[in-house]
Amino acid sequence: MRKHLSPGLVLLLLFFVAAAALPFFVDPRGHLLRVAAMALLFAAMAQSWNIVGGLANQVSLGHAAFFGLGAYTSTLLFLRFGISPWIGMFAGAALAAFAAALLSFPTFRLKGHYFALATLAFAEVLRVIANSWASVTGGPVGLSIPFLGTKPELFAFRAVSSYYWIILALLVIVCLAFRLLARGAIGYRLRAVRENENAAEVAGVDTFRVKLTASIISAAFTALCGTVFAQFTFFFDPDSIFALSGISVRMAMIAIVGGLGTLGGPIIGALFLIPLEEVANAYLSSAAAGLSQFVFGAILVAAILIQPRGLMAYWPKSKAGRLARKDAKPVTPATPATEGGR
Amino acid sequence: MTVISANRRRALAVLLGATVLATGIGAGGARAADEVVVGVVQPLSGPNAQFGIGSLRGTELAADMINAAGGIKSLGGAKIKLVVADVPTPNTAAATTQRLISQNGVSAVVGAFVSSTTLAASEVTERAGIPLVTFAFADQITGRGYKYAFQVSPKGTVFGAAQFDYAMAIAKAAGEKIDKVAILYEDTAYGTAQAQGLRDAAKKAGVQVVMDEAYPLGITDVAPLVNKLKASGAQMAFPVSYLNDGLLIIRSLRQQQIDMPVIGGAAGYIIPDFKKGLGDYAEGVISVAAAGGDLIPDLAAKYKEKYGTFITHEALIHAAALDAVAKAMEKAKSSDPEKVRDALATLDDCTGLAQGVPGGCVKFDATGLNTSAFPIMVQWRGDELVTVYPEKAAKSKPMWHGKPIP
Repeated sequence: MRKHLSPGLVLLLLFFVAAAALPFFVDPRGHLLRVAAMALLFAAMAQSWNIVGGLANQVSLGHAAFFGLGAYTSTLLFLRFGISPWIGMFAGAALAAFAAALLSFPTFRLKGHYFALATLAFAEVLRVIANSWASVTGGPVGLSIPFLGTKPELFAFRAVSSYYWIILALLVIVCLAFRLLARGAIGYRLRAVRENENAAEVAGVDTFRVKLTASIISAAFTALCGTVFAQFTFFFDPDSIFALSGISVRMAMIAIVGGLGTLGGPIIGALFLIPLEEVANAYLSSAAAGLSQFVFGAILVAAILIQPRGLMAYWPKSKAGRLARKDAKPVTPATPATEGGR
Repeated sequence: MTVISANRRRALAVLLGATVLATGIGAGGARAADEVVVGVVQPLSGPNAQFGIGSLRGTELAADMINAAGGIKSLGGAKIKLVVADVPTPNTAAATTQRLISQNGVSAVVGAFVSSTTLAASEVTERAGIPLVTFAFADQITGRGYKYAFQVSPKGTVFGAAQFDYAMAIAKAAGEKIDKVAILYEDTAYGTAQAQGLRDAAKKAGVQVVMDEAYPLGITDVAPLVNKLKASGAQMAFPVSYLNDGLLIIRSLRQQQIDMPVIGGAAGYIIPDFKKGLGDYAEGVISVAAAGGDLIPDLAAKYKEKYGTFITHEALIHAAALDAVAKAMEKAKSSDPEKVRDALATLDDCTGLAQGVPGGCVKFDATGLNTSAFPIMVQWRGDELVTVYPEKAAKSKPMWHGKPIP
């Protein structure tokens, strides 16, 4: 039991409590809360990605596909049939899970870069479909979430704080799912796949099935995030929701900068990157065109160069942290560098 | 060990706290009583940057002119202060617009040029009750029954129809009978909306559309498109494109010695870079436009003096948009967003920078659309664009196949 209450976990629980209280201390309709909500949403997205990208090391660059499926499914069900986005979000999750299963058959035979490229292409295909099948998707003009005032049953609120708490709840659920998966039997199998897929197969792990399960769960959570994103930002179009740099890469980047395959990584990554980007935008975008993105990119590069294991390496009592500290010592022949040099 | 981890924890907490707090800096900053704040959201980086920068220049020039002429007189000569934000994609539009509203306390927002970004921004301004005055074309902007969105120029479908009808009228005046045309458009919100307008107008006129083709934004090989266009037997082509695709299409056509009249769909066809990229091939290309510098020579001269190029239509319309906001404040004797919105809704102004808009006035109907504006046709003559159609706005006769129309 003691094992489950590591300092890191206590800190995480404290963070959730503090995050839940934040709206009481800032302007409930203001910009700060909106940025905080966006950071938490991206944390939830990166955590969803982390299930397949971190645990199984299947680096997907196409998670925007599931994100967009979630946003489109719930929004179209609401606009065309009046079905509440609360129900629509689960329809979107089911559809994304199905799409993930379908995508797994051809792509899981691919390794490394080829897998990344195949997933990237999948998101691009969905973008083109959403763009050209205008009679169903609304086409390139995009979809607006109608302005309804506060209607909780239709996922519509005036105050940012309502969205904020929903996003926080989603993040807690995704984190819980991640921890259960990582700690459960499937987590060990996924790690076996990550370390050496052939060895795992020989040891009796049904590697395809394990990866399939992880990617279905990951896709479903990503779709839930997509619905919440659509409701929260009120508008999306094919280019923005299926975006490579804006969504797919960002999900992976947050998890990587924070700490790949760790529970806290996506949260720290999102809390670091999203406000940073916002600050860069707020203070530099009027100075010179593109300067804000340049500064943001430079800080990102620096972060990865300084700590390739991600910010989680500074987290107390974490596996990544221990490893990073071990790495920091002068390498003696007694400490094999396989883990770090891989 | 415990000391180290406590230190680490503290360091982490400080780091996170600092990043979160940093976003709050500037909130509630004191505002000088003698200035009014207007937000400007434009794509200043990314693929639409040159249009965003042109739009920003127009807005800044308008602010300078209004301030130099004494600011908002009914507010004791208050000066206009612009708060500029870069919005390269629609994804960031909501958060950025929210920032301008809650941190900078803007009285109104001008801009966004790109339709999708404007739609995203309008969802925030509508919920916050802040007027948004825009140049973006998309029909939906004022087609949703929103109270706070104002469109200074006509809608995308109107532009498409005008691109077709005006071109047919010019061809007719030149004595050429057109019964086959081609439509090429990029698959963006702007491209599809305008193509729809073209298609409907062609149908109405009983003209056969022998080619109707969408292509992706950022296309790099237009040879298949141009070959298809050549084989289609079209007498006139209507491409709707941003800059690079437009350049490629025209260059390929002219290199293949096809002198089919090309009627561009605004955007990339009417900015200085079009001429820079095409050289002599640009001569005589006609395009629909929302405004022309020769309609308001005074502003056009000031612009050229300051920025070294001719004034683009996005600069003209955004100047008029900011001017409308200023006049609304003047009329409302207030910078309260609600009062500015009401004054905009009842604005009927045909002076100053409003003259840059064809029709010469800014007057919004119940949906927020400027009722007096209409599209015009401009034609490349040397390094400049000349307004050639319709006659009520024209400064010169159009040239057809290189010859002036009698």
